Amino acid sequence: MSFKKRFFVIKLSDKILLIFFVFSTVALFLVATILGGSWQQLFILITIVYAATFIFTYVVSSNFSKSLIDLALKVQEMGAGNLSKRLVTNRKDEVGQLINSLNELMSRLQTGVAVDISKHRELSRAKTDFVSLAAHQLRTPLSIVKWYSDFLLSGDAGKFSKEQLKYVEEIFRSNQRLIDLVNSLLDASRIDLGTFVIEPKPTDVIERAETALSKFYPEIERKKIKLEKQYDKFDKLNLDPRLTQIIFENIISNAVEYTPIGGKIKFIVKKTAKDVFIKISDTGFGIPREEQPKIFTKLFRGDIAKKIQEDGSGLGLYVVKAIVEKSGGRIWFESPSLELLLEEKQDADNLPLDKKNMGTTFFITIPLKGMMPKEGTKKLENLKNIKKSKQA
Amino acid sequence: MSEKAKKILIAEDEEAMLEALASKFEKRGFAVIRAHDGEEGYSLAIKEKPDLLILDILMPKMNGMDLMEKIRQDDRWGADVPIVMLTNISDPENVSRAAICKVYDFLVKTDWRLDDVVKLAEDKLAFPEA
Repeated sequence: MSFKKRFFVIKLSDKILLIFFVFSTVALFLVATILGGSWQQLFILITIVYAATFIFTYVVSSNFSKSLIDLALKVQEMGAGNLSKRLVTNRKDEVGQLINSLNELMSRLQTGVAVDISKHRELSRAKTDFVSLAAHQLRTPLSIVKWYSDFLLSGDAGKFSKEQLKYVEEIFRSNQRLIDLVNSLLDASRIDLGTFVIEPKPTDVIERAETALSKFYPEIERKKIKLEKQYDKFDKLNLDPRLTQIIFENIISNAVEYTPIGGKIKFIVKKTAKDVFIKISDTGFGIPREEQPKIFTKLFRGDIAKKIQEDGSGLGLYVVKAIVEKSGGRIWFESPSLELLLEEKQDADNLPLDKKNMGTTFFITIPLKGMMPKEGTKKLENLKNIKKSKQA
Repeated sequence: MSEKAKKILIAEDEEAMLEALASKFEKRGFAVIRAHDGEEGYSLAIKEKPDLLILDILMPKMNGMDLMEKIRQDDRWGADVPIVMLTNISDPENVSRAAICKVYDFLVKTDWRLDDVVKLAEDKLAFPEA
């Protein structure tokens, strides 16, 4: 309550007191006028009556007012979210009834809010459990397709013609895209649930970068992209190898996807005083300014991105950002990418305006001290139950 | 099959996966013992005492985690035999249970090519202390 309000508000008890005084003064004058008597007698009478009235009114009104003030305070507490408070009263009068009604209302509210919160949690858990369940169930047929196409590709099931091999390679590649999507969905659902696990162990960061990069060599070759790599030497760092690879795969994948034929990618993994500093620049289509604030948002896909790659999930950068930030690192980007554009200026000048690409550079830091372990809590009891019911 | 062939037990209830894995190992000269559920896996493991076990987790009758723990309770052979969990469930609870039982590795099926799974087993059997 503000000072002004506190100072000028007249309490209910004061009003009652005032009314009593006015009425008793008028009554006394009337009585004195009718009965007659000296001024001294009248003065004594007025003093006695005033004193009695004052004490009586003060006790009654204070009691009444205190109950209302208590009530007001409880309502304030309730407004602040404390629904478990109750008023204790033995009163049978109107104030007592009001207090009991309020207690009852608070009980109902408390139950209602509890039900709402638990419903919300239940829904949220059901949603993420569904994603998790679906993803795990999808992995079984995906692994079967992966292993059998792998079987065919390795020549274990007999020799294939070039054309047949090309088809099987396509099956293998598309299936791998689905596997990556399912893994991203699982990672995103774990991030949302807060059950994302970080398991750091001594990891060769350059080996992870190379493993990730090797996945894209065929595409880099196909698109005749000029790749430039610069690696510093690192001792093994305490990183989660799977998560480190997810970071590399996603940023490399984006650079390769969005760089046109004959473009250039520059990939740097450097050691600074405190961090692993990763920088990947491309001469790709770039990120339009109006889309830049949204690119780390879950499921967001830019207009140009949709045109170039129709079936992207919009999960990659969301997952990468979560991993990097949970590891104590930072991720940011620059588009147009100044570095490569300056290097390629000569060529860019020869291109018609609408063909010029803006390019993008992503920057990531991960602390050299490594990632902090984080345990998940997700239990997959539902999965076990489903499997059991399948057997029955 | 030569007498020196290393024995691998694969417990996997999905027939297609079991066959893909088993054929790959057999082509590389391993003797493969196929189990289609956890209980069969346990009885065959105790009887055949394979050199390495590859276990799925979600299986009928007994799941792979319970099978793993039961094998580890066998003092003479099961306590040290290399176990690889090969599953599509990578939740932390199972991973930590497997770590307590000192499994050699915990692999997610979709992340691994068959040749790499075989190579992992070959490496472990060639260098048991690794």
